[in-house]
Amino acid sequence: MAASIIEPPPEAGAPREALWKRLAWFAGLAIASVLATATVAYLLKALLR
Amino acid sequence: MHFDALLLSRLQFGFTIAFHIIFPSFTIGLASFLAVLEGLWLTTKTTAFRDLYLFWVKIFAISFGMGVVSGVVMSYEFGTNWSVFSTVASPVIGPLLAFEVLAAFFLESSFLGVMLFGWRRVGPSLHFLATLLVAVGTLASAFWIVSANSWMQYPAGFVRLADGSFRATDWMAVIFSPTFPYRLSHMVLAAYLTTALVVGAASAWRLLKDPDEAESGVALKMAIGMFAIAAPLQLLAGDLSGKQVGKLQPAKLAAIEAYWETRTQQPFHIIAIPDRATESNRFQVAVPKLGSWIAAGDVNAKVTGLKAFAPSDRPPVFIVFWAFRVMVGLGLAMIGLGAWGAFLCWRNTPEHSRLFLRAMVAMGPAGFVSVVCGWIVAEVGRQPYVIYGLLRTAQGVSPISTGEVSVSLITFMVVYAIIFSVGALYILRLMNSGPSPKPEAAAPPPRRRPPGYALAAAPAPPDEAAP
Repeated sequence: MAASIIEPPPEAGAPREALWKRLAWFAGLAIASVLATATVAYLLKALLR
Repeated sequence: MHFDALLLSRLQFGFTIAFHIIFPSFTIGLASFLAVLEGLWLTTKTTAFRDLYLFWVKIFAISFGMGVVSGVVMSYEFGTNWSVFSTVASPVIGPLLAFEVLAAFFLESSFLGVMLFGWRRVGPSLHFLATLLVAVGTLASAFWIVSANSWMQYPAGFVRLADGSFRATDWMAVIFSPTFPYRLSHMVLAAYLTTALVVGAASAWRLLKDPDEAESGVALKMAIGMFAIAAPLQLLAGDLSGKQVGKLQPAKLAAIEAYWETRTQQPFHIIAIPDRATESNRFQVAVPKLGSWIAAGDVNAKVTGLKAFAPSDRPPVFIVFWAFRVMVGLGLAMIGLGAWGAFLCWRNTPEHSRLFLRAMVAMGPAGFVSVVCGWIVAEVGRQPYVIYGLLRTAQGVSPISTGEVSVSLITFMVVYAIIFSVGALYILRLMNSGPSPKPEAAAPPPRRRPPGYALAAAPAPPDEAAP
């Protein structure tokens, strides 16, 4: 089920990671998502050529 | 009716876009709804907003995926079925669609990953930023698509070269063609209404089962608030858009209102059966003079009829007339539902009126039907042109055979029926489960039978000893 892979918010009072780590995760997840999209796009392009 | 490659290509594009448009029109509103929910959770710490976010983000992710899949198909259809249109119009249309793809993929797709998988990793503030960027991305996507379509409705800021192709000379005029502001506001409001009706219907469905489910009560009131405001605004935006159509696309307005003669004091046809063969309405119920007032704000205004255009330049009347009436009829029903809901909210009892909750459930799909009808009015009303007044649809089609388009159309119908039925059923199942967090399943009792035990599947009596 989709419920198991969607990350819930941190628990109240849970210790926060350092800002640089959170920013790195933010950028990393965004880039990984773009790369996943690009991979699908280039596979489609290769398939249709 | 003769089914040639042109008609089949039009049917195929109409079929695929009718499927596609329901997803972005839902996700545009849902992305903003998620941003509001997360913002409210961050500021108030009310857990209902967090639970609603976690519930609707699943539905958003599935709808977004199905929207992308159905949208990619249309990009290819520009090449396979409408290659002549693509060749001559791509210097103008191409960059607008490219900006749409950039907005959709670089804002929506990338930050959707953070929304789904990064709440604990990036923390609440950066996660909220990702949700906001996805919401902005959906709106930016709508901006560019409506801009491209508005240019096709009323082209501006271009020259035509000797080979018939178009070149932009003024990009601001291309992007902001005269119909664009009205059509964009009409589309965005339609998306918000569609989402509010779906959220309201899903919440009402849950409240009919469990009137004390707090999260659904909150979502119901938020949905009522949205469409009680957006539905009357949509009537205003639609009226302004219609007046613009009367000025810039008079043949489309004549088809929308089933006007055959050009005259002052045009009536408003509530219902009619337009007949192209006799160039008249076989049957009609009309309010005298109201048509001129709606079209131009003056009962003595002259409104052009279809006979002012050559038969080959007229759009199909019957489908445009009735699609418009279904859209407006449902819009009026939304205004009524919004007023009813606002009255119940004022008395603080919307979740306890079972009649209202049933009406909400029944109106759940109304936004999708209205959006599809609106696009039928816009696109069929532009016929016989693909670029209004400049390029006929028949001139834009690819040199392909009837057999080839028949095969692709049938394939699309079969594949879409399977994929989107499964997707829609899954979304309905999620909605049926509701937003309340389920208590963790109790841990299974300690195993008393060893692996491989012959009667492992048989129910164990309470006093069974380990073998």
